Amino acid sequence: MILRLPFAIRSALPSPSLPLHRRPIRSPPASALSSLPPRPRQEIPLFLRPLAHSAARSDLDAFRRWAKSLALTAAPGIAAAADGGPDADHLIRELSWLVQDATSEPEVGDEVRLRVGLEELYRLWRERIEKRRPFQYLVGCEHWRDLVLVVREGVLIPRPETELLVDMVAEVEGFQEGLWADMGTGSGAIAVGIGRLLGVRGKVFATDLSPDAVEVARFNVERYGLKDKVEIREGPWFEPLQDVKGKLAGLVSNPPYIPSSHISGLQAEVGWHEPRLALDGGKDGTDYLLHLCEGSASALKPGGFFAFETNGDKQSEFIADFISTMWGNFFENVETVLDFAGIKRFVTGVRR
Amino acid sequence: MGFFFVLKRSCSRVRPFPPINPNGKSSLLALFSTSLSGSRARNLISSHPFSVGSFGAPRGPNGFSGSGKSLDFASLPKVRLFSSQTAALSEPTTSDGLTVDAIAAKGWPILDESESDWRSHAAAIAQSIRLIKKRLQWRKMIVRLEQLSAALNKSDLWDDPVYAGRISREHGELMGKIKAVNRFEQELLEHIDLLKLAREEGDKELELESMKALLDMRRDAKEKELEALLSGDRDSCSCFIEVQAGAGGTESMDWASMVMNMYKMWAQSHGFAVTVLEEMPGEIAGIKRATIKVEGEYAFGYAKAEVGVHRLVRISPFDSAKRRHTSFAAVAVIPILSDVSTQYQIKESDLRIERFRAGGAGGQHVNTTESAVRIVHIPTGISATCQNERSQHSNKASAMAVLQSRLDQLEMARQAQLNAEHTQSLTEISWGNQIRTYVLHPYRMVKDLRTNYEVSDPDSVLDGDLDGFILNFLSTLLDKDEGNTS
Ligand SMILES: C[S@@+](CC[C@H](N)C(=O)[O-])C[C@H]1O[C@@H](n2cnc3c(N)ncnc32)[C@H](O)[C@@H]1O
Repeated sequence: MILRLPFAIRSALPSPSLPLHRRPIRSPPASALSSLPPRPRQEIPLFLRPLAHSAARSDLDAFRRWAKSLALTAAPGIAAAADGGPDADHLIRELSWLVQDATSEPEVGDEVRLRVGLEELYRLWRERIEKRRPFQYLVGCEHWRDLVLVVREGVLIPRPETELLVDMVAEVEGFQEGLWADMGTGSGAIAVGIGRLLGVRGKVFATDLSPDAVEVARFNVERYGLKDKVEIREGPWFEPLQDVKGKLAGLVSNPPYIPSSHISGLQAEVGWHEPRLALDGGKDGTDYLLHLCEGSASALKPGGFFAFETNGDKQSEFIADFISTMWGNFFENVETVLDFAGIKRFVTGVRR
Repeated sequence: MGFFFVLKRSCSRVRPFPPINPNGKSSLLALFSTSLSGSRARNLISSHPFSVGSFGAPRGPNGFSGSGKSLDFASLPKVRLFSSQTAALSEPTTSDGLTVDAIAAKGWPILDESESDWRSHAAAIAQSIRLIKKRLQWRKMIVRLEQLSAALNKSDLWDDPVYAGRISREHGELMGKIKAVNRFEQELLEHIDLLKLAREEGDKELELESMKALLDMRRDAKEKELEALLSGDRDSCSCFIEVQAGAGGTESMDWASMVMNMYKMWAQSHGFAVTVLEEMPGEIAGIKRATIKVEGEYAFGYAKAEVGVHRLVRISPFDSAKRRHTSFAAVAVIPILSDVSTQYQIKESDLRIERFRAGGAGGQHVNTTESAVRIVHIPTGISATCQNERSQHSNKASAMAVLQSRLDQLEMARQAQLNAEHTQSLTEISWGNQIRTYVLHPYRMVKDLRTNYEVSDPDSVLDGDLDGFILNFLSTLLDKDEGNTS
């Protein structure tokens, strides 16, 4: 018989005081910042570390119980902040993934091998709850499409919506053998996603201004063995692409598109922890989008395809309208495309 | 436990068009000629193109498959046989005219295995073969084989290649099963012949060897009896198991999650891989509904025995007045077909894919580990959701797999009159269809209402020890079925 309790099990450890009721602000509160221990820049993601530690199963179970009760205690505070943060179910699922990444396949026996010490798991989960550190930075990876991408602070965690950009590229006739560009590649998500689908002559140029992004993208490209298919170039937007100007079969980008004024009200996980360089799209959020549309006219070859992610509905409509009216003689078939939440998330079109 | 065995075949991995063996006919006939001297018989069996060894268990040094654990009966045919060859299925006999049925009818006493009495071994094996045939629904199989052979001989068969492919595949599979049994019968008769021959010639070594072979066959036959319980088209498939709480709030939802747990533990104890695809938690405890994927050979064959409503009687831990409650949970089991040609064809344009539980601005605004996807098949209204994968892409792929299976199941239900076996979906299961009762109070018992099989230790059952229930149900089911058709 499985013993089931109708109520949450009380925390084995005293629950910490939670700095959750304050409104999220752009950077973590000073107290949170100062208590963050300095981390080495190049931390190996959890799932790639060796199983060099171990713990008694009962101790791991005790950690789970503690972490679960911490999550349940914190959930109402997170909900009260009303910034779109995680609820208890999400946190508990993240907890199971944290343990999944920290252990190996289901192990039997009383001893469990771990990729980090148990104390480190406690520390990580505290950061998740108390500092709202994104789960993906905790474990150092994000599952995206069929990929496991390495991420770390300084690089945007790829979003589920963005997965669709790769599907759109895959629908373009003959895309396999073309030259593609992913501008503002961040972790390299889109570029790796496309790179895996390309044929022998196809290639993706992945650019970013951020040295952090370039480093992480390089790591991901190499981890998937795509060095020949994806070329990483550092620099602002079109600048690193001068040599292929007018030759590109397609351009994709998920540029920063959040209006500057929204930045301070963002969900704590985003506003406190992800790089502003990856989010802030200027006054209306359209600064980079417009720059990309304009540059596409000369970067794409005739018949070349573009797809950009936007802040959704209004912004997509605005960009699509703008292209049709301002650059109507350069582009055709300009349209907005829905994401799975039914939001007009993307603008696509074809160079005449 | 200990009832389960590793079976070496995966779901319907059938070649669409098995190549024709140019020697098929003559060698098949050769197999049925029986009056052979010992060494020739052994030779023939081990070098025979249909020998089990090529796709079944590794053969022993004596050329017989011994007590290998592979499922000979369901072995895949490599050869397409046409109707003229069904004639070859006539009853084999020993050199002095004894058939397997005749042996079974003799009523020779069946002694303990340790007794070196060939008649006892032979009688035990013959009885097993009878039971195996019954479980395979032998008469139905022969009738079906004749129908298929007739269809295969039509000259316009290949005008519809999809149909032709299906027919020839089914024919091949059936032929394979029938031949495997015939081969086993043949083996029995040959060993008897050899044993008699050895006695006549005073060849002690050969006599011992034949006795040993009979004993091996006897053990093998016991396993085959069990294997024969899983000879359905889809039995070897992996499957989805779905559990839904009945009316009654938290108490029922708690029961539903106990049932789901029971299956997870059952599956794990048999080495099946278990993945939770969808789980709708109850507000206070338990689950409203959940779907797991159980991957491994014969997962469906066993789990299908669990379809129906499971009833729990206990003092509810959620009732402060400590009253006795009765709660219900419905269980559905859906096979995962890997043979694409028999799958329901889904049109991309018929699908609506939605982010499940999405809210807010999305995109760069939001960091979330929630990427649940729901896929709706618009024409049928059937939908599937997956939320437990770590990427939207994988959630979509899993939801798609569930949807595919639900549509396959619907299609099977539609074509139920064609020889498909069909298990009910959750929506089809009526709450009146109770299959098993679990009583924790005032006494302790689990009783299957279909077989009357019962166990007085509910804890072990809820911990996944379901094999007794499953095997009892499967044998009852098959014995009943064959009775109806004869
Ligand atoms: C929203 S992130 C997208 C990252 C990644 N493509 C993805 O979808 O996960 C925007 C990216 O644009 C990069 N970026 C910002 N300003 C840039 C500039 N002027 N030139 C090139 N890249 C820039 C940021 O470093 C960041 O990696």
